[in-house]
Amino acid sequence: MSSPADRSIVVENLTRCYGDLRAVDSVDLQIDSGRIFGFLGPNGAGKTTLVKVLTTILAPTTGRALVGGHDVVSEGHEVRSLIGVALQDVGLDSLMTASELLQLQARLFGYTPEAARGRTRLLLKRVGLDDVPAKKRVGAYSGGMKRRLDLALALVHEPAILFLDEPTTGLDPVSRVEIWTEVRRLNRDLGVTIFLTTQYLEEADRLADEVAIISRGHIVAQGSPMELKREVGQEVITLVFAEEEEARQAEGALGHLDGARQLVGRELLVYSARAAELVPSLVRRLDAHGLALEGLSLAQPSLDDVFLRATGERMEDGDDSHLAEKVGP
Amino acid sequence: MTEALLLIRRSLLVALRQPAAIIPNIGISVFFLFVYNAGLGAVENLPGFEGSYLAFILPVAILSAAVGGAGVAGQELVRDLESGYFSKLLLTPARRLSIVWGPMVAAAILLVGQVVLILVLGLIIGLDSATGVPGLLLVVVFAFLWGMAFAGYAAFAALRFKNAAAAQAATLAFFPLLFLSSTFVPLEFLDGWLKVAATLNPTTYVFEGMRAVLMTGWDWRDVGLGLLVVVGTATLTGALAVREAVRSTRLAR
Ligand SMILES: Nc1ncnc2c1ncn2[C@@H]1O[C@H](COP(=O)(O)OP(=O)(O)OP(=O)(O)O)[C@@H](O)[C@H]1O
Ligand SMILES: [Mg+2]
Repeated sequence: MSSPADRSIVVENLTRCYGDLRAVDSVDLQIDSGRIFGFLGPNGAGKTTLVKVLTTILAPTTGRALVGGHDVVSEGHEVRSLIGVALQDVGLDSLMTASELLQLQARLFGYTPEAARGRTRLLLKRVGLDDVPAKKRVGAYSGGMKRRLDLALALVHEPAILFLDEPTTGLDPVSRVEIWTEVRRLNRDLGVTIFLTTQYLEEADRLADEVAIISRGHIVAQGSPMELKREVGQEVITLVFAEEEEARQAEGALGHLDGARQLVGRELLVYSARAAELVPSLVRRLDAHGLALEGLSLAQPSLDDVFLRATGERMEDGDDSHLAEKVGP
Repeated sequence: MTEALLLIRRSLLVALRQPAAIIPNIGISVFFLFVYNAGLGAVENLPGFEGSYLAFILPVAILSAAVGGAGVAGQELVRDLESGYFSKLLLTPARRLSIVWGPMVAAAILLVGQVVLILVLGLIIGLDSATGVPGLLLVVVFAFLWGMAFAGYAAFAALRFKNAAAAQAATLAFFPLLFLSSTFVPLEFLDGWLKVAATLNPTTYVFEGMRAVLMTGWDWRDVGLGLLVVVGTATLTGALAVREAVRSTRLAR
């Protein structure tokens, strides 16, 4: 299809309510053409709601959004012809086959029957579904296969702007990397602007040129992953205690020692530009108060720390693998 | 236009892949045909009744097939709403009209298949159309249009309630229409409130139109009135369904 110059996304003071709930609250965003934008936030933060507004499925309550230079409310038709959308809940007809779905989609976007068949073959190959028996109905697909088919459907008409709502949630690590590769390829080779939501910090960090973090409808941080992490400043010392109470006591015990503190459950975080120098005095101080450490780690800040600094909560709540990574020797 | 044909074809394909949703419906209308004909056939001998009771009752079997058959359109829309495929279609350039009418037309086409079957059975047990084959074709046209009218209502209910049970229950509302009419005996035989209800009920005019061609001949007044009523009802319910689709999806323009 055509390659319109404007592939940008602009959101101005946008709010979307469900009854009294402000699911997306006064959001401003500016995403330039040809970027990969990562929209990061925990469950219920408002990611899907914003995607639905930007893709014309939901109307905004107040505010304005332009996609590819077109207003999502008054020029919905123009917006829809520019965008490809793979929603979080895949929308597939379980009684049809993958080829039937892809061909119908292509025909509805104006491809000739021949071109539609060509497109179908190409996309099935690209998302790795070309060796699935052709007669197999989508109802018999696994969750991961459905996700990949849904992505293929979003790509049928070679959209200039692609919206992917949690495209890798529930995928195995190999499939996840395949999706990342495809997202990068689309962006690099075809200049597609990509708006991708995720709950995975690593995904945003590895894939996105730019990230916004949303929490309870508000954007709490925005910038490149590097910038955001630099803003947290310094390095992070994580002190892990057996009990929440001990962590609280430790916070008091540290007194006027250098570094910003943050208490998260039974963890105490200390941010400091000279973290390594600080560790011995921290440990001595805790020892003097009879507070035993379960673990201690020193790390470069992650996007999780960015989220934590902005909201006072951990995004990956209770994620032990994350913790295990951090607890050093 | 192409998009409409594509969407009708897809709806047909999907409906034929669930034969369980169609076959019981055929069974019921055939059952109606035989039971009513056998049980009420004696009406034929009443003074003032002209023609064969079989030709009289056949439109009842056809219209009851239409009620169930049109429900298929509602069921398909509910399935699409639940699976999220409906949203996917809305994001294509296809018009809302085609997306909603696709399942409706498909349901009406399937209905035509059922009606042809009923007519063939009728012919086997002695149906004699007063206007020959052209009259039978007109009966099929009536069935198609009445199917569209029911399907529009079923689609409206599906889009409004968005769940299968409620949509199914809403289509049951059509059964009174089917029976508060000159269903079993001619209008002249009716009396009191039933006669009033039957006169107000659009179904009566559809029955009269079909019966005219089957029993008496090309009575253009009855046929014309019947066609007017089915086209009007189909347009009305179809427009309601599309309006409901636009309203309930709240899709930006
Ligand atoms: N149709 C709806 N009606 C009422 N409330 C809704 C509706 N959809 C979402 N919400 C609420 O709006 C808020 C934002 O939901 P949303 O689906 O946008 O979050 P999300 O960031 O996509 O979450 P997740 O990561 O779980 O997908 C939540 O509190 C949710 O309960
Ligand atoms: Mg979501």
